[in-house]
Amino acid sequence: MFWKKEIECISRSDLDKLQAKQLALSVKRAANSVVYRERFAKAGITSLDNMEQLAMLPFTTKDDLRAAFPTGFLCVPLDKAVRLHSSSGTTGNPTVVYHTMHDLEAWADLVARSLYMTGCRPGDVFQNMMGYGLFTGGLGLHYGAEKLGMLTIPIGPGNTQRQIWFMQQFRTTVAHILPSYALRLALALADAKLMPGVDIKLRTVIIGAEPHTEGVRKKIEEMLCVKAFNCYGLSEMCGPGVAFECQEQDGLHIWEDHFLVEIIDPQTGEVLPDGQEGELVLTSLEREAMPLLRYRTRDLTAVIPGRCGCGRTHRRIRRIKGRDDDMLIINGVNCFPMQIEMVLMKIPGVGNNYVIELRKENHMDKLTVKVEVHETMFKGTLEDLEKLEQHIAALLKAEILFTPYVRLVEPGSIPVAEGKVKRVIDLRKTE
Amino acid sequence: MAEQLSVFMENKPGKIEAVTGALLSAGVNLRGVSIASRGDFGVLKLLPDNPEKARKALVGQGFTVSTRKVVIAIIDDKPGSLHNLLLVLSKNKININDCYGISIEREKNAAIVFDIEDAPEAQAVIEKAGIRTLPDKDIHQL
Repeated sequence: MFWKKEIECISRSDLDKLQAKQLALSVKRAANSVVYRERFAKAGITSLDNMEQLAMLPFTTKDDLRAAFPTGFLCVPLDKAVRLHSSSGTTGNPTVVYHTMHDLEAWADLVARSLYMTGCRPGDVFQNMMGYGLFTGGLGLHYGAEKLGMLTIPIGPGNTQRQIWFMQQFRTTVAHILPSYALRLALALADAKLMPGVDIKLRTVIIGAEPHTEGVRKKIEEMLCVKAFNCYGLSEMCGPGVAFECQEQDGLHIWEDHFLVEIIDPQTGEVLPDGQEGELVLTSLEREAMPLLRYRTRDLTAVIPGRCGCGRTHRRIRRIKGRDDDMLIINGVNCFPMQIEMVLMKIPGVGNNYVIELRKENHMDKLTVKVEVHETMFKGTLEDLEKLEQHIAALLKAEILFTPYVRLVEPGSIPVAEGKVKRVIDLRKTE
Repeated sequence: MAEQLSVFMENKPGKIEAVTGALLSAGVNLRGVSIASRGDFGVLKLLPDNPEKARKALVGQGFTVSTRKVVIAIIDDKPGSLHNLLLVLSKNKININDCYGISIEREKNAAIVFDIEDAPEAQAVIEKAGIRTLPDKDIHQL
């Protein structure tokens, strides 16, 4: 049941003590970085060992990381760092995150703990369909899966026919996959007349890197005949493995021996109680190379009050609703891309093969939802397509309260960037 | 009963050419073509000599394809034959989604391809009126 029971089921009072001790250590380490040294001097902080004092620290943001490029947050001599991960930096300086050997081992252990929690065991065959490289998705799960003892196939994303061939040849039981790709893979299996559960031995899929709805999860489970577990992480904290679903599938356990959790009001910065939705703020407790204090993840969620049926004491967060900066304001109306996905998921055959495009037209915002037409929704006549288009527009209007333009597009029209599907294309500023 | 392929496509230059290119590489011959388009998208309807081969070739190129049964009626190539055929359908209250004609042998006969919701029923009605329809296996002989 447990990878490390003594830590996964630690009593809350012991966890509090552990967190206070680790926080003091983390602050001490952080003081070695150029940025935090200055901040501590300004705030008059020399040490910090109780949780109340934490609120004295200012937040750390993604912009801070960009501004401190390349080594402003580094807390160890550069020759102690053994790896870096980085964002693409298409919108300015990239955010660079360094790891010592200790950091990589701790990360791999967290991932192994998380995978074990979902039911992965030595002897399983793990096909890692996530991107390898600067993106943490591929390498993060890779080392955790090996540490757990699974036969690991570092195949990376795409090339569906080859994925299927490997799944058949090596009888893959666990896959790590983008939710959008999982649905495509399921369609490809159906096209190849391969039956999940019979011709394909897949039992578990780990999905992450894209926010997705419960509807998407259910659909993946149904189509692939698997259990799908939600995985959360961000490169600033390490990568995937920060929080993970257990077999109860009711929220993601956030590993509190490694990360200190706060939920704040994104507007005021006020700390919110459990149960209330806000922005997730994390403080790393275990990292050496680059501990971050009160880091604003921009991810919207809430801590779920109460204990989990699985016996673990680490609190759970709700599935990520979206990033605070994902929120679109369209002609003054707020709208989250997740709302649009929720609607599309309910329409048979549509699923999440969509992209949202925003443009300015006569000074007004124009929202276009492009939906890929796949075989399951194509009856072969123009009339049916017109009806489908109107149906989608009407259902979307009921949810977002204004009528979007719906455009039917050919499969493969949705752009993929950095291994993640880009769902929102906002051309309002550039046009 | 003959099979017609419907291909979903965006209305952009070069799209139909991509379809004919894929069919050329697969060695598929076409007996009939028709397009229904509406603004930014349309449906290309194809009557290939080998529907399965054509479908595979197009799906392989990433196209969304749907297969529909169609009725092919053979009529004389002379004034009034099409009118007579349509009269049979309208008398039986059968609605036509789409239809197009192919001239087979000049001044001898022509084939009319019907896309009708209940294709088997329409076929029976046409045959009952004494008009010949074309079985699937004969399409390649057109």
